[in-house]
Amino acid sequence: MNTFIRWIGIAVVAFIAAPLLIVVPMSFSTAASLQFPPPGWGWQYYQAYFSDPSWLRPTWNSVFIAAMNTLLTMALVVPATFALVRHKFWGKSAANLMMMMPMAVPHIVMAIGYYSYFGELKLVHSKLGVILAHTCLSVPITFLVLSANLKGFDRTLERAARSLGATPRQVFLHITLPILRPGLLISALFAFIQSFDETVVAIFISGRNAETLPRKMFDSIREEADPVIAVISTLLFAIVFAGLIAPSVIKLIRRMTAKTAQQR
Amino acid sequence: MGFKLSTLPDRQNIWPWLLLAPLAIYLALFFLVPLVEVGIMSVTEPPPGLANYERVLTGSLYRKVFLNTFGTALLVTVCCLLVGYPLAYLMSTVSKRAAMAILLLITMSFWTSFLVRTYAWMVLLGNNGPVIWLMQTLGIQDPPPLLFTRFSSTLAMVHILAPYMIMNIYTVMQKIDPSLIRSAESMGAYGRSLFRHVYLPLTAPGIANGSVLVFVICLGFYVTPVLLGSPREQMAAGLIGNQIEQFLAFGLGSAMAIVLLVVTLIILGLYHRRFGLDKLYG
Repeated sequence: MNTFIRWIGIAVVAFIAAPLLIVVPMSFSTAASLQFPPPGWGWQYYQAYFSDPSWLRPTWNSVFIAAMNTLLTMALVVPATFALVRHKFWGKSAANLMMMMPMAVPHIVMAIGYYSYFGELKLVHSKLGVILAHTCLSVPITFLVLSANLKGFDRTLERAARSLGATPRQVFLHITLPILRPGLLISALFAFIQSFDETVVAIFISGRNAETLPRKMFDSIREEADPVIAVISTLLFAIVFAGLIAPSVIKLIRRMTAKTAQQR
Repeated sequence: MGFKLSTLPDRQNIWPWLLLAPLAIYLALFFLVPLVEVGIMSVTEPPPGLANYERVLTGSLYRKVFLNTFGTALLVTVCCLLVGYPLAYLMSTVSKRAAMAILLLITMSFWTSFLVRTYAWMVLLGNNGPVIWLMQTLGIQDPPPLLFTRFSSTLAMVHILAPYMIMNIYTVMQKIDPSLIRSAESMGAYGRSLFRHVYLPLTAPGIANGSVLVFVICLGFYVTPVLLGSPREQMAAGLIGNQIEQFLAFGLGSAMAIVLLVVTLIILGLYHRRFGLDKLYG
């Protein structure tokens, strides 16, 4: 029984890994369309991606929109999270639910809403419209990550600083913020990725002017399955891999430098 | 200490509201208003009344699409469970290093965009792709078309949503006290009965979390079914998109969207009453 379950587990590992790995060789293929095994190997689709404005413009749009979305989301969510984690007040559970609502509504429903609402406000086909919409969708995940961090915060540190004569402002700037920084960075990262990956709302409201990378990829997959998508997939995949590996690599380097320092 | 006790309650009452106000106003303006607008469109475009809902709830096409959506979501959830449970079990039994390696893979899959993973399945299952190539090499003369079928979209959705299931179940399995299993064994529970009476109930919260999450995401899934599925067997989100993009039938699309929303909220609401929504994504 146990070994049987194990073998299934190993098969599942292959099932999860295979699609992630297949795009890498495909991106170095010379075939004009999807073809396996590839007829030859080369960089041509990497060159195509980095020289084609119809791919670079959406990439830049996505980075810009995600960055603005992150700033706006953090400006709104950070104070609200402090209120919800550190204060007791009437209507708190309703406010908690409000923060989670954008996660419960299917994106296609919001896409129709934005399409018509932003149409009236003349915000359709604009970057501002996409930023405003994405910010709503980023609220729940940012709030979840940040509130988990804030709940684990040891408030005796703040009280100690206060009893030593620090003003509330000083406590916030010199105690609360530095301790909370990793949590703030991670929740900001979640907000950024949420916007950078968001596809459905962007398909309906971004238009040609504010076209995001996921929208361009969606259109391209639907129409012609341009092999450049394999390049972008490989690049995105490499970024995720680097991001996940980075902390342990840094740890390893630190450990090694510490060791060499000791040996001296 | 010289705190003025009389001012404390006042300050405590106003502070949280001041901190919450910007976000509340923002969500009201850019989340609630567009959502309400969908509701309004569903009863005013084109004819004022409930005609759109009548069509959506009784028309044979719409009924077929909603049934198909439910069926697919259920199938995907069950497959995710069948795929996710053994893997989570494997992770909780292998060495810590191996478990970390598998976890890295799952996390990587989780963080890779839906679109990238959908595209990867398109490459894998395409007419010139490795799966067909393998079938031909093995001597299968006329391999059946795999792409743009119910099979391909279901398979891709299972692949895309499995990490949600695996992470939820693994979190629960990790916390199981091994002494519970040992004591059950010492009292004569082995194999199947150990699994049924001890292990399964202990992992039930993870199964519930993962299943609700996968089912709900699948109900509203747009990208993968549209790109990989058969155009004749659409799911609800795809048909809603069609109504808007192709037919400009905002009323009909909105009515379908509201039905989809209500179903989703009922499932999440039941879940919220039982466990609390914040646990779902934690």
